[in-house]
Amino acid sequence: MAVVAIREVRKKFGSAEVIHGVSIDIADGEFVVLVGPSGCGKSTLLRTIAGLEEISGGEIAIGDRVVNDLPPKQRDIAMVFQNYALYPHMTVAENMGFSLRLRGASKKEIETRVRPAAEILGLLPLLDRYPRQLSGGQRQRVAMGRAIVRNPQVFLFDEPLSNLDAKLRVQMRTEIKELHQRLKTTTIYVTHDQVEAMTMADKIVVMRDGVVEQVGAPLDLYDRPENLFVASFIGSPAMNVLEGRIAQDGSATFVTSAGAVLPLAHAPQGSAGRAAVYGIRPEHIGLANDGVSAEVVVVEPTGAEIQVFARIKGEEINAVFRERHRFASGDAIRLAPDPAQVHLFDSQTGRRIEGADPDQTLGEERRLEKTT
Amino acid sequence: MSSPAVAKEAVVIAATGERKPWLRPGELGGMLMLVPYILVFAAFVLYPVLYGLWLARHPASYATLIADPIFLRTVVNTLVFLVIAINVKMVLALLLSGFFMTPRWWIKVLALIFILPWALPSIPTILSVRFMLNPEWGIVNSTIFRLTLEDGPNWLNDPRLALTLAMLVHIWKALPFWTVILTAGRLAIPTELYEAAAIDGASAWQRFRFITWPSTRTLYLTCTLLSTIWTLGDFNSVYLLTGGGPADLTHVLATLGIRYLRLDQVDLYMAAVVCALPFVLPLVYFMTKRLSR
Ligand SMILES: Nc1ncnc2c1ncn2[C@@H]1O[C@H](COP(=O)(O)OP(=O)(O)OP(=O)(O)O)[C@@H](O)[C@H]1O
Ligand SMILES: [Mg+2]
Repeated sequence: MAVVAIREVRKKFGSAEVIHGVSIDIADGEFVVLVGPSGCGKSTLLRTIAGLEEISGGEIAIGDRVVNDLPPKQRDIAMVFQNYALYPHMTVAENMGFSLRLRGASKKEIETRVRPAAEILGLLPLLDRYPRQLSGGQRQRVAMGRAIVRNPQVFLFDEPLSNLDAKLRVQMRTEIKELHQRLKTTTIYVTHDQVEAMTMADKIVVMRDGVVEQVGAPLDLYDRPENLFVASFIGSPAMNVLEGRIAQDGSATFVTSAGAVLPLAHAPQGSAGRAAVYGIRPEHIGLANDGVSAEVVVVEPTGAEIQVFARIKGEEINAVFRERHRFASGDAIRLAPDPAQVHLFDSQTGRRIEGADPDQTLGEERRLEKTT
Repeated sequence: MSSPAVAKEAVVIAATGERKPWLRPGELGGMLMLVPYILVFAAFVLYPVLYGLWLARHPASYATLIADPIFLRTVVNTLVFLVIAINVKMVLALLLSGFFMTPRWWIKVLALIFILPWALPSIPTILSVRFMLNPEWGIVNSTIFRLTLEDGPNWLNDPRLALTLAMLVHIWKALPFWTVILTAGRLAIPTELYEAAAIDGASAWQRFRFITWPSTRTLYLTCTLLSTIWTLGDFNSVYLLTGGGPADLTHVLATLGIRYLRLDQVDLYMAAVVCALPFVLPLVYFMTKRLSR
């Protein structure tokens, strides 16, 4: 177990820089998830921590050691690869004990380390099999077993669940979480699946194009996304975003570019008339007699909830209801976004406009005025 | 499996075995397509082989052959050639394949030059080596003379030296091919395995021993077998360099026939070819078995 500090790390492939100065602080025993769209540099960052890629700038420290120039084996980390990378010519037991064998451990010592790990992962009956004789889920477990046996300072996972089917993925998600609660080893986990990120992480790092967009606890990211990218990336189904401007005649409202009037709890001081983006999550839209009139386009019941795709003055909006409404395509309904759950973003920079929700102090006006 | 099921299956097999016709209606067209191939095979493979066996049918030919001291020498030469040249070549190819996998631009350039001996035709290249080794005016000995003021060895006049040089020529010429094959085999090993091993703490040698070798072993053995078959038939490396000389002491089975042809002993020539069969046939058998697995 160890803290991990990533400071201003840059990575260039030839002349192309793919990581542009990333800093992340990871506490001892923390489960950190790096999430972001494909190609944003998650794997590259993870590989620099593992020592499989050299960094072009900055500093990486594991525990109290700066590891920039250390080869992978001296960093005391274990990594689980997306396609598991099991040694095809070794049995499950040999795969799991390989690192110990390389360190010159005795047969008995290897056995006493491999067995408990195999037991935790339910691999005891499979110890003598070869990787090709295992199912995808079993291979995944062996890959984790190989990491556990080493008892490293840090676990690194690169999309370990993406080759599994949906059901197994959910199951393994829980198992990895349990394992972490049991071993309390600092873990850095890469995924492009925001549900995985939300459910597993103590702390999420949202990345895009080689920069960190936001770092925070899952619910912080959900409640207070710092920009439009994080807002639409975190949460499923994704947040509705509507362009328009803030209006203030009596009470605060938001007028979309198509002319629909949406409620706001509070407009930041002096923001009347300002162009902005209105964000509201599907689960924060209700029905009310004084709501905005909308036309139902598609209804998707999943059993637990109903997802409704509707149009407000021609603009798509997506709402989720836990109650069973019998909507049909073409129905006219009245949608009421919960004003307390509205997010406002600057229409140019995409940054969150503070002060839109009533709990927030209005300390950001100066900066806002500069950007407009 | 329960016994009624076995019985039933046996019945089915027996039944289909009985009724299976020589040709099913739809197969006639397919068979017709094979006719040209069968004709070519009969004319250019089957007929010469059978004719050769017919020429070599007299046991007396073999007695003469075995009584010929050159023949025994040839068998020994062939074994030496096979064991040394092939293993040295394959081990070198394995080492070089590791080198050529390093991603550097100048290694790619080097690889291009390295492939040349294999790509060039044998006759001019091997003959030019022979000229270079000429004791009086060859470039090798004239260089030695210029540097040391002494005459270099008479390269091709010493049977041991000559056979060694023939092996070197063979290795030089065939090495690129096997290096390419082994490189291709090694490139197919997923890089993640090496990365996982690096994290697990494997040294370069341990990565070779635990990942590269287990993954290339089968390919390596197959290549060795195939190379043995081809080397048995390698006429050029020996004949173009030494011509079997001096005094017919550097022949291998592939070149020995020429000696008897020169002496107008066609039956001995064929018998010599037949004597190579005990080497070749088991190899071909293992080879086809490996490939059909
Ligand atoms: N070896 C390399 N050489 C050159 N460019 C590379 C190399 N590896 C990655 N890149 C580039 O770096 C960027 C980040 O790649 P990376 O694999 O880290 O993305 P990722 O976030 O893991 O994506 P995914 O979710 O698809 O795995 C990409 O634009 C990719 O093309
Ligand atoms: Mg990746």
